[in-house]
Amino acid sequence: MNELFLKLKQAIIDGDEEIVGELSQKAIDEAINPVDAVQLGLIKGIEVVGELWKSGEVFLPDVMMSAEAMKVGLGLLEPEIAKLGMSQGEAKAKIVLGTVEGDIHDIGKNITGAMFTAAGYKVYDVGTNIKAEDFVLKAQEVGADIIGASALLTTTMCSQKKIIDYLIEHNLRDRFKVFVGGGPTSRAYADEIGADGWAESADEAVALADSMFAEK
Amino acid sequence: MMLPKYNVLTQEQVEIIHNESIKILEEVGMEFDYEPALEVLKAQGQKVEGHRVHFTREFIEAKVKLAPSQFTLHARNPEHNLVCGGDSIIYMPGYGAPFIQLADGTRRKSTMQDFDNFVKLTGVSKNMHMTGGTMAEPQDIPDEIRHLKMIYSSIKNSDKCFMGSTEGWERAEDSIEMVSLLFGGKDVIKEKPVLISLINSLTPLKYDERMLGALMAYAEAGQAVVIASLVMAGSTGPAALVGTLALQNSEVLAGIALAQCINPGTPVVYGSASALSDMRTGGLSIGSPECALFISASAQIARFYGIPSRAGGGLTDAKIVDAQAGYESMMTLMAASLTGINFVLHAAGILQYFMAISYEKFMMDDEMAGMLLHYMKGFNFDEDGLAFDTIAKVGPGGHFLAQKHTRKNHKKEFRTPQLSDRSAYEAWSKEGLDTNQKAHKQWQAVLADYVPPALDPSIDNKLLEFIAQRSEK
Repeated sequence: MNELFLKLKQAIIDGDEEIVGELSQKAIDEAINPVDAVQLGLIKGIEVVGELWKSGEVFLPDVMMSAEAMKVGLGLLEPEIAKLGMSQGEAKAKIVLGTVEGDIHDIGKNITGAMFTAAGYKVYDVGTNIKAEDFVLKAQEVGADIIGASALLTTTMCSQKKIIDYLIEHNLRDRFKVFVGGGPTSRAYADEIGADGWAESADEAVALADSMFAEK
Repeated sequence: MMLPKYNVLTQEQVEIIHNESIKILEEVGMEFDYEPALEVLKAQGQKVEGHRVHFTREFIEAKVKLAPSQFTLHARNPEHNLVCGGDSIIYMPGYGAPFIQLADGTRRKSTMQDFDNFVKLTGVSKNMHMTGGTMAEPQDIPDEIRHLKMIYSSIKNSDKCFMGSTEGWERAEDSIEMVSLLFGGKDVIKEKPVLISLINSLTPLKYDERMLGALMAYAEAGQAVVIASLVMAGSTGPAALVGTLALQNSEVLAGIALAQCINPGTPVVYGSASALSDMRTGGLSIGSPECALFISASAQIARFYGIPSRAGGGLTDAKIVDAQAGYESMMTLMAASLTGINFVLHAAGILQYFMAISYEKFMMDDEMAGMLLHYMKGFNFDEDGLAFDTIAKVGPGGHFLAQKHTRKNHKKEFRTPQLSDRSAYEAWSKEGLDTNQKAHKQWQAVLADYVPPALDPSIDNKLLEFIAQRSEK
C-alpha cells in the first residue's frame, strides 16, 4: 500500500496525468483510504515540486504539469472521499481565482493557480471575464478564504475594485481576503482600492497567502 | 546608399513557415469574438462554426495580395509625411506603459502630463519620425475619454503623424472623427490615410471584440492598421522559434485578410511583438536574443508577402536605465533596423518588458536611433568619399585636421552624439554624470524650450467642441 503512495507521489513529480489517473483509480478499486492517497501521495508529490521550483531545479512547465496531474488525481479521489463521508484533511486555504470582467487575458492567472496548487492550496479557477458577483458567489459556494482577481489592462483594473465594493455592499467584506494582481496593478493601487493583498508574481502571491494562512 | 537589409531565413524556410501557417488556419482555425467579423468571413465563403473560422489557402493568399506594398501616412505638416514600406524606416516611442520609471529609481502611475511631455519630446526629436499612440497611459483621465484627450494632445503638441485608439469600434470612430476635423473630412482622409492604429490578436489564435471593432472601423475609413501578434513562446505559444513564427504568422495573415475583405487595398502593416516567456516565472521577456530573431524573421516574412513590417524597438526587461537596458535595447533596435522592419513601435522609452516608460530611457534610445539611422546610411563612394586628392596633398607623415576637405566633409559623414560622452576623464569628472543623470537633465531642458507648432484656431475649437460633446455622453 505504501508503494502505491510512493508511486502516486512520483507520478505527480513527473507531471504524468495518465499514471496519476491510473494509480488513483487503482486506489479506489482496491479500497485504499482515499484520504491517505491524497495526503500521502498527491500532496507529498506536489510539495516536492514546489520545493524544486523554489530552488531553481525545475521550471514553470514542470510545475504546471504537476498541477494538472494533481487535478486529475483529486478529480477521482475527492468524490470518493465525499461518498465515504470522510474529511479530506484541510488544504492550507481555498482560493477562488479568475480574470475580472472585461478582461480575457489568463496566462498570469493560470500560472498563479498552478503555483497555489503546488503550494498545497485548493484552487477554484473560475475563468476569464468574470463579474464581481460571480467571484463572490463561487467563493461562498466553496467556502473560500481568498478571492484572487487578475487584470492585465489599465481599463479593466477598475473591475477589481468592483469585487471589493460588492463584498462591502453585501456585508461580506470580512468573509474573504481579496488579492489583486496583473501587469498594471501595484501595491499602491491595491491599498487604494482596499485589497487585502497584492503581489507582482505568482510565487509572491503564494508567499503572501502563506503569511496569512500557513499557521491556520 | 542605404545598407542592404540582411536575411536570417532562406527563401525555402520562409515558405515552410507560410505553409505551416496555412495549415494552422485550415486545420485548427481561429476564433473571432465579434459577430460583424464572422458575418464578413462567412459571406466570403469561409467555414464558420460558432466563433471558430477555418480558412482556405486560396482565400488567405488572394486577400493578402490585395494589401499595398507601401503607402504614405499624412501629417498635418506635410514635411512629416511618412512612407511606410520599401526601404523606409519609421521610429516612434513606446506604447501602452501604465507606469513611469523615474530617474531616482522610483515608479509611479503615468498621467496626462506625461503623455503631453512625450508628444513634445517626440515632436522635437530628429530621430523619432512620428509621435506614436498611447505613449503613456493617462491614468488620471477617466477611461471613457482618455482616447479623446490623447488624440487632441497628439494634434496640438506636435505636427507629426500619430496613432488612433483601438479600444473598440466606437473609440476608433471617435479617432476618425477627430482627424476628419483636422484634415477636412472623411473623404479626404479616405484618399490620404492619416491614422495608423495598432490591432493585436489574442494569442493563441483569437481576436477579441474590441480589436475587431476597431479594425473594421479603420478599414472602412481607409485608415492604416498594424496587425500584430505577440506570441509568448513557451506560454501562449510553443517553446519553439519556428512554431512560434508560424503561429504568429497565421494570426497576422487572418487579420490582414479580414481588413482586405472590408476594404480591398486597406493599408496594413505586418506586425510582430513575439517574445519569450521566462521559463522560471512565465513572465514576458523582450530583451532576449530569441526576440531579436523573431524581429528579424518577421521583417523577412513580411517582405515575402510584399507588406510593410512592424517589430522590435528598444526592448528591454531591465527595471532602470542601466547597462542591461542599453545592451538589450541596442540588440533589438539594431535587429529591427538592419533586417528591414519599416515601422518600429517602442523605439524609445521602454523599460520593464513594456510595463514602464522612462524619460531618461527615451533620451538614451533616441541617441541609439540616431546612431542606427547613421549606420544604415552606409558608405559614400563619390569623390569626397574616396578623398584621394586630400590623401595625396597631406602625403606621408602629415595630418588631416587643417584640410578644407576635413572641415567640410566630417559634417556629412560623421555623426555628433547627442547624449553619449566622448570627453576626456578629467573633463567628464567635473560633473561625473552617468547616462541616466545626463539624460534626466537633457529632457527637462528640451521640454523647457519647447514651442508647440501653431494650430488653426478654428480647427482647434472644433476639436474642443467635439471632445466636450463626446465627454457629456
